[in-house]
Amino acid sequence: MKPAIKIQNLKKNYGETVALKGVNISIKDGEFFGLLGPNGAGKTTTINILTGLVRKDEGVTEIFGKDIVSDYRFTRAQVGISAQEFTQDWFFPLDRLLYFQAGYYGIPKEKAKDQVNELLVRLGLEEKRSSRLRQLSGGMKRRFQIAKALVHDPKILILDEPTAGVDVKLRHELWEYFRELHNAGKTILLTTHYIEEAELLCDKVAIIDKGQVIKEGSPKSLTRQSGKSGINISLSDENIDFESVLSDFTFTNNEGELHFTTKEPEENLPKIINLLTNAGCHIQRVETTKSSLEDVFLSLTGKGINE
Amino acid sequence: MNWVGFSTLTLREVGRFFSVYRQTVIPGLISSILYILIFGFTLERRISSIDGIPYTLFIIPGLIMMNTLSNATSNSSSSMLQMKLLGQLPDLLQAPLSSFEISLAYIIGGMVRGTVNGILILLVGVVLSDMTITQPFATIGFIMLVSWAFSSIGLILGQMAESWDQLATMQNFFLTPLSFLGGIFYSIKMLPDWAQSVSFFNPIYYMINGLRYTILGVSDSNPSTSFIIAIIMTIGFTVIAIMLMENGKKIKE
Repeated sequence: MKPAIKIQNLKKNYGETVALKGVNISIKDGEFFGLLGPNGAGKTTTINILTGLVRKDEGVTEIFGKDIVSDYRFTRAQVGISAQEFTQDWFFPLDRLLYFQAGYYGIPKEKAKDQVNELLVRLGLEEKRSSRLRQLSGGMKRRFQIAKALVHDPKILILDEPTAGVDVKLRHELWEYFRELHNAGKTILLTTHYIEEAELLCDKVAIIDKGQVIKEGSPKSLTRQSGKSGINISLSDENIDFESVLSDFTFTNNEGELHFTTKEPEENLPKIINLLTNAGCHIQRVETTKSSLEDVFLSLTGKGINE
Repeated sequence: MNWVGFSTLTLREVGRFFSVYRQTVIPGLISSILYILIFGFTLERRISSIDGIPYTLFIIPGLIMMNTLSNATSNSSSSMLQMKLLGQLPDLLQAPLSSFEISLAYIIGGMVRGTVNGILILLVGVVLSDMTITQPFATIGFIMLVSWAFSSIGLILGQMAESWDQLATMQNFFLTPLSFLGGIFYSIKMLPDWAQSVSFFNPIYYMINGLRYTILGVSDSNPSTSFIIAIIMTIGFTVIAIMLMENGKKIKE
């Protein structure tokens, strides 16, 4: 089956500035994919090329196997975009703006009615359907952005910082909604500054820095591969030859405080405890430390995601 | 062709100016009534007629044309700039709409506004000065043609402009002077020779005189020349507006 989104060797320069050095991403149909990177890493440029706002210099960009330039009518109809920046409008009420949006995608008002009503209800905007955008709170504007992205019922949903600036309660509600959409079969491409969001929602994430993807995998496998998880064990008895007992492990011994560096603390902990108890050690305290995707991000890019 | 998308955007463009008709329709109407009452009826005592036409009647086609082309231009230019500045343009550029469809919808929006304004002032002229229209269909057809041409110019300006200031500069420094110098209030025969020659380079001179011919049956310029220039402008500026949209440099990135 053709991937929902395929990006190969994507390059883009803005004059002298290199924005993308050759990005490679493949997103399966139905996958929840996170694109993480510090500011200026190339996330928005990648999305903008994919959606037709920016022209690429080089590379392959396909949606369900079709080129985004030569088959733009097909590819754009498959994608709904919730942009980071709020749209403003001075003239029309919310429901008409949604009908316009559906219309641009070839759906006449009559056919869009059910979807528009459903989205307004689901996203808690029903009471505001006759209001203008300027009358909405920040959280409502964010929900409207999402409704606008979904009005033509796209197969692929691109969420660019979908929870930026919203309160914790709404953030959790939106996460729930994104899960629902994902379970209903939508392919979702998410960019976010909340690493917890990616860790919680995404099947797969790609970390992009300085215009290229530097790591890709499931959040779990990334933390396992690149993370620095560890086990700390305090012992009451120090007169044992730990080096020979624990020869299979890498560890440091600081006066009976053993620190193990391991990528799989859950699997290794029982083995270590077994070996130590068999050697007659008395264990006082056990602690596992596990790195998060944030640590992985930090170790790969050298900076935090909000920098 | 994405017909639903194209008609949605066209209706949005038309609906947009109708929803603020106090800004987009009424002002032209009021200023034209004032021009007719103040300029027409007071100056008529000094200039009783031009080419055998009472002065008040003589200025009406010019007023219609001035309103038509300024409204047509400002509709597409301000709508495009507004969409750019309010962040609405990505909604169109990311949708399955071609540059041709987007351009045409904008141009039709401006064309409708220019035509509506032109026809309303035509009716004001009929009511206030008992004017009879020599060729009603040609008059409306010509108003639509010129509206289309200037709406295309507006779309070009809207794409080029990056601020309201730039847009106002283009309109105030070119469009308004050219309209006034195109012979709204006078026949160019009243000007010295050199000024007459300069007027021949002003496209708005041909638009005003073309309309004056269809309404009053008199014109400084040859009516066929006016018509041909209007057609050339319509086609030329439409093509440029679409090409600029397709190129996208001024509206994307």
